[in-house]
Amino acid sequence: MNVLTIQNLSKSFGKQKIIDHLNLSVPKGSIFGFIGKNGAGKTTTMKMVLGLLQPDNGEIHVCHEPVRFGQTKTNQYIGYLPDVPEFYNYMTPAQYLKLCGDIIGLSKSETSQRGQELLSLAGLNGVTKPIGGFSRGMKQRLGIAQALLTHPSLLICDEPTSALDPTGRKEILDILHKISRTTTVLFSTHILSDVERICDHAAFLHGGNIAVSGTLAEMKALHGHDRLLLEFSTDRDLQLFKKQKFIEPLLPDSEENNRKIILHSRSMETVQQSLFGVLAATGIRPVKIELMEPSLESLFLEVVK
Amino acid sequence: MSGYIAFVKKEFTENMKNYRFLILFAVFLIFGITSAFLAKYTPEILSALTKDMEMSSEPAALDAWKQFYKNMSGVGFSAFIILYGNSLSNEYSKGTLVLMVTKGLSRKAVILAKYTVAAVLMTVSYWTSYAATYGCTALLWNDRTLSHVALAASALWLSGFLYLSILMTGCVMFRQTFTSILFTGGMAALLSLAGMAEPIARFHPFILTSKNVDLISGTTVPADFIIPALISVMISVFGLLTAIRLFNKKQL
Repeated sequence: MNVLTIQNLSKSFGKQKIIDHLNLSVPKGSIFGFIGKNGAGKTTTMKMVLGLLQPDNGEIHVCHEPVRFGQTKTNQYIGYLPDVPEFYNYMTPAQYLKLCGDIIGLSKSETSQRGQELLSLAGLNGVTKPIGGFSRGMKQRLGIAQALLTHPSLLICDEPTSALDPTGRKEILDILHKISRTTTVLFSTHILSDVERICDHAAFLHGGNIAVSGTLAEMKALHGHDRLLLEFSTDRDLQLFKKQKFIEPLLPDSEENNRKIILHSRSMETVQQSLFGVLAATGIRPVKIELMEPSLESLFLEVVK
Repeated sequence: MSGYIAFVKKEFTENMKNYRFLILFAVFLIFGITSAFLAKYTPEILSALTKDMEMSSEPAALDAWKQFYKNMSGVGFSAFIILYGNSLSNEYSKGTLVLMVTKGLSRKAVILAKYTVAAVLMTVSYWTSYAATYGCTALLWNDRTLSHVALAASALWLSGFLYLSILMTGCVMFRQTFTSILFTGGMAALLSLAGMAEPIARFHPFILTSKNVDLISGTTVPADFIIPALISVMISVFGLLTAIRLFNKKQL
C-alpha cells in the first residue's frame, strides 16, 4: 500500500519547467530518500504534496485522498518539517507544541502527554528558554517534534540535515530511524551517505522527473556496475596485464589512472575467476586488488551525467 | 473552530509580547488625554507667546471633541494601520505560517483571527481614549449641552473596521509591509475622493469620520449616519471576504 502517490505532476515557474510529468509512489512503512541536486525541484514537489503550491498538471494522493491546493484536509495525515523551520520566537518549545495541539484540536491532557514524549524524543525535555535563542540543530529537532504531534501517517522532511554539523546530523538521523517503526518517512536530501545510512527506498529526481527509484538494493543492482580495482607496482606489469586476451574486451569500459585500472562488469564473479587464472599464468602480481561495490554516489553521478 | 480560537490566543499573546498593543494603547490614550487639555490651554499658551494675538472666542467642550476627532481620524488610525501593516508580512517572510497551515489550520481562520484580535485591541484602545477625552472634558468644562457624544464616537469607531478590512486585503495581496500600508492609504484616499462627488456624498462612509463634531453640536442628526454606517459595514465585510478568498489562493 502506498501512503503517497504522485501521478503526472508538472510545475513551471515562468518559462522554466521545474517538474515535468513526475510519477512517484511512497510505500507505507518505508524510509524514502528523495534525492536530487540543489534546484532539482525537491522542495517544489513537497510543497505541492502539502497543498502549498498549485501544480500545473497532475494528481497527488495522500492516504488515497486527493490533495487540493489551498486546502488542508490531507495535511491531517502529514507531518511536515521544512528545510529551515521557523517558529514564534517568543514561545518556549512546550508553548509552541501546545499551540500546535490546540490547532489540531487535541485535548489538553493529550497535548501535554504527547508534547512531553516528543520533547524527550527530540532531546528538548526541560528546555524552557524561548525558541528565539535556539541553535539550528535544536530548531530542527523541535521541527520534528511538532511534525509528529498528530501521529502522522507520513512525515515529510525537506533536507533535514543539510545545514547541520555532524553531531546535529547524527541526532536527526537517529530520530528519523527511531520513528520509522510507526511512521512512513519521506525526506529530501543531496547527502547520499544519509540515504545509505537510514533509507530503504529512494528516488533520484533529475530533469524534472524521477530518473531512478526503488529499494536501495534494487537501485544498486539495476543501475550500478560492479567495479574491480587493480593497482600494479610497475607500468610494465600494467601494460602486460592489458594485453591479455581475457582483459581486452573489458578495456573500453575501464578507467585508468597512473598504475591503477578499474574494470567494470555486470558479472563480476566470472571476471574474478578468469582474472586470478590470468595472474597465476602470467606471474603478474598486483599490489592491490579491491572489489568496489556500487554506491549511490556512482549511481547519482551516472544519472546526472 | 479550534484552530481559530488557538490562533486568536496566539495573536493576543504576540500583540502583548511585541508591544504592539502597548504602543497602540499608549498613542490612543495620549490623544484622549491631550485633546481636552490642548483645546483648553492652547489659546492661553499662544496668547502668552504672542502678546498682540487676540483670541476670538473662549475654548469650549466642543473644541476638545474637535481635537479628538482630528487626532484620532488622522494620526490615531494611521498609527493603527502602520502597527498592523506587518501582521501578515512578518509571517510570510519568516515562514511561520507554513507550519500552522500544514497542521490543518484553515487559511480562513488565520485571516479571521488576525482581524478579530486587531479589531478588539483597536476597540479597547479607542474607547479608552474616548473615555479619557470624555472625562477630561467633563472635568474642564462640565458642558451638558452637547448631544450624541457616544454615537458620534461610534461612527469613527466603525470606520476603524473599514480601514482594517482594507489593510487585511492589502496584507494578503502584498508580501511587503510598506506596500500593504501604501495600498490601505491609497484605497482610503480613493474612497475620500469618491465622497466628494455630489450624488453619493450624503451616503458615503466618509461622513463617519468627518461629521462627528456636527453631530455633537447638533448641526446634523443621527439619521444622516445610518446609510453611511451600513455602507461602511458592507464594505468592511466585503473587504474581509476578499482577503480570505485571496489568501486561499496565495502560495505560501
